[in-house]
Amino acid sequence: MAKVLMIHPDKCTGCHNCELACSFEHEGQFRPAASRVQAYTWEREGMTVPMMCQQCDDAACVKVCPTGAMHRSATRANLVDWNEQVCIRCKMCTVACPFGNARYDAASSSIFKCDTCQGAPECVTFCPSGALEFVDDEQQVRSRKKAYAAKFREAFQEVS
Amino acid sequence: MFGWTGTILRVDLTKGTITREATDPKLARDYLGARGLGGHILRSEVDPKTDSLGPDNKLVFAPGPFTGTFAPSAGRFNVVTKGPLNGVLAASNSGGSFGPELKYAGYDALIIEGKAAKPVYLWIKDDQIEIRDAAAIWGHNTLDTTDLVRAETDEDAKVSCIGPAGEHQALLACIMNEMHRAAGRTGVGAVMGSKNLKAIAVSGSGAVKVADPERFKAAVMKARKLIQAHPVGGAGLKAYGTDVLVNILNQVGALPTRNYQDGYFPTADKTGGESLAAKQLVRPKGCFSCIISCGRVTKVDNPAYAGYGEGPEYESAWGFGSDCGIDDLDAITKANFLCNEYGIDTISLGSTIACAMELFERGFITAKDTDGVQLTFGNVAAMVEMTRKAGEGEGFGAKLAQGSYRLAESYGHPEYSMTCKKQEMPAYDPRGVQGIGLNYATGNRGGCHVRGYTIAIEVLQNGAVMDPRITEGKAGLDITFQNLTAALDSAGACLFSTFGIGAPELAEMLSAVTGVEYSVDEFMKIGERIWNQERLWNLTQGYTTADDTLPERLLKDPIKTGPAKGEVNRLGEMLPEYYQLRGWDDKGVPSKAKLKELSLN
Amino acid sequence: MTVRFFATIRTYTGETERRLDDAPATLRELLTALAARYGTLFRRAAFAGADLNPEIIILVNGRNVLYLRGLDTALSQDDEVSIFPMVAGG
Repeated sequence: MAKVLMIHPDKCTGCHNCELACSFEHEGQFRPAASRVQAYTWEREGMTVPMMCQQCDDAACVKVCPTGAMHRSATRANLVDWNEQVCIRCKMCTVACPFGNARYDAASSSIFKCDTCQGAPECVTFCPSGALEFVDDEQQVRSRKKAYAAKFREAFQEVS
Repeated sequence: MFGWTGTILRVDLTKGTITREATDPKLARDYLGARGLGGHILRSEVDPKTDSLGPDNKLVFAPGPFTGTFAPSAGRFNVVTKGPLNGVLAASNSGGSFGPELKYAGYDALIIEGKAAKPVYLWIKDDQIEIRDAAAIWGHNTLDTTDLVRAETDEDAKVSCIGPAGEHQALLACIMNEMHRAAGRTGVGAVMGSKNLKAIAVSGSGAVKVADPERFKAAVMKARKLIQAHPVGGAGLKAYGTDVLVNILNQVGALPTRNYQDGYFPTADKTGGESLAAKQLVRPKGCFSCIISCGRVTKVDNPAYAGYGEGPEYESAWGFGSDCGIDDLDAITKANFLCNEYGIDTISLGSTIACAMELFERGFITAKDTDGVQLTFGNVAAMVEMTRKAGEGEGFGAKLAQGSYRLAESYGHPEYSMTCKKQEMPAYDPRGVQGIGLNYATGNRGGCHVRGYTIAIEVLQNGAVMDPRITEGKAGLDITFQNLTAALDSAGACLFSTFGIGAPELAEMLSAVTGVEYSVDEFMKIGERIWNQERLWNLTQGYTTADDTLPERLLKDPIKTGPAKGEVNRLGEMLPEYYQLRGWDDKGVPSKAKLKELSLN
Repeated sequence: MTVRFFATIRTYTGETERRLDDAPATLRELLTALAARYGTLFRRAAFAGADLNPEIIILVNGRNVLYLRGLDTALSQDDEVSIFPMVAGG
């Protein structure tokens, strides 16, 4: 049973607390440019969507990495991990990821990619809206499915 | 520096020069930032006699030390200038994301001086600053302006801009950021327009540093818990928005109706937050670092008033609603969208239209004056049309855009302008709630509720309760609120965080961020300093104790119907004690001893 | 007597107002009767144990009952009672 960082864009209010929590956890300061999660807002629609590494099972970044710096973790389930020591900063992972979820940060000479903060993702803790959830893979879509199921419950409920 | 960036950016639009200065740590410590620091800059650098729409006025955009951190709901900034509406030391507060971006670009304040020869916009990318030609953007509404500026700078740049109202230098013009957030009041948008400055785009890749990260995180987690546990901060505002206030003010009998002719509006429920949530709400929205999410993303399907945007807030729903005798929420929401697009203050414009409606119904103006429109209370189409005209500066709308004081005075009846110091009072009838009346009368920028929101105690039971009908103790209540709010505003926090936290939590977070140890007393003293600083400026404008008053209507004409029927505001019972507790003389002038105590000159 | 409900209270009652032909003698009796009618969520919103919940705002003819006699406030047939959860704005 592994945990998944699930995104619920419908609940996102565009507050960027996730970015602040991520950058603070990794750098001890507030630099949203350094955040591994990025929340994009479309002001006209008033809609924001947070995006971070989806820890792909068959990850493009792992496939292209020449040194094995990008690798599936042997110790933690459902995590594509980054080995800073063997990474040569070729940036092939950033080219390969189709979602743009790995990026090279010149300021710190690192590859920025969600690492789920040792299994207790800060973005999830700081999100005030439940738009980010760290949840057992079995329960990943439960909240969403149940919310809709509840509409049927209301429709069919007998009134005494 | 921690919390602060240590740099102030100064742009002279006349000379086209850009300079950087170090933030004075002593000033930062004593004035915090935003409203306080901006106010100090104005007092130090601008001659009080300056024409507010002339090149010698300065326009300061300033975030606070919290801005850009995850202090809960603390991502705000202020626009500070000499306010064209009434000459005061105007400080207009806004949320969104613009303030934090200024911090990430590296700035504690942006000071705009002079006047550009032709329309320009400013592009700030970290330490690369450009003054660029805005000829192709001038004339556009704030939504299109934002898109156009982004297309030329960065698609994710945060943009603060004026719309047509600011370009026309309308006294009610505001400055919009992120399309839907407003530095709304006192005509700050007109100052930006008078400088030929159409927009400011900012992109910042830097960091805001924290002095004691562990202490800060602990303080923030605690503050978040308190706000989330609070029924308002934790749930109510997200569910219903500020518009939820319509019904409670109405049930108390203090919902100003038809230009403050009454305090009760029978069909008010149609314009309240419950109705908004059921009909127009798309989803809630939060400003940068916010955990409260009071923002409303809304749409109107009714083809007559179709639109999509944000709002209305309570004040806006009131201004275009009960104050105009209107209960059509689609139309009210549309008026709000128009104000955002044109960049004009919803509170003042709603109240000004209401004033015009009363003048019209009393026969002091006719359809000849109003471009043929029957501008009567309850005329929904007229209200929306006049809103649009005001934004455009078209016909009678151009007069409306100058505010109700000048409008009513021009027709020989200033007594129908519901203003204090020429700025329109918001949506709480002081005849039904005594303490807010004292706040309106003594407010440093004129009619304003946020500067000393005693409603929280007098009506909303937030942590304490005081009978709204009595005057005892209201002077002390007002002063506490005014001081706390001034410090809170200057730190970059949102007023709504006080639904959950107060001075102790704010002082603790501030200490942890900046590394400067602030006690609760020191925090409140900073607020008192900032309040007095604004008062000193206003004295230079010729404001005297005679101006610390309310319209005659509120002192003499009782509310006609509803639960507060028969009440008037008894300002005279509160004002002397207010001056005394403030350490001012009986003319409302801060004493030398008080100024010395606050290190103010 | 008219009792009006606002904000989340409406979600507990399913209606915006209720008219009563016979006014209960006190606020306590009124809230107890309403709780019996509308159920647990309403009761929890109105009461904290035997006392009035500090997070509810109740007006009788526009006057907050905290300045009248709280739960012992006497009610009469012409009264209008408004019930709010703690709400706010600006």
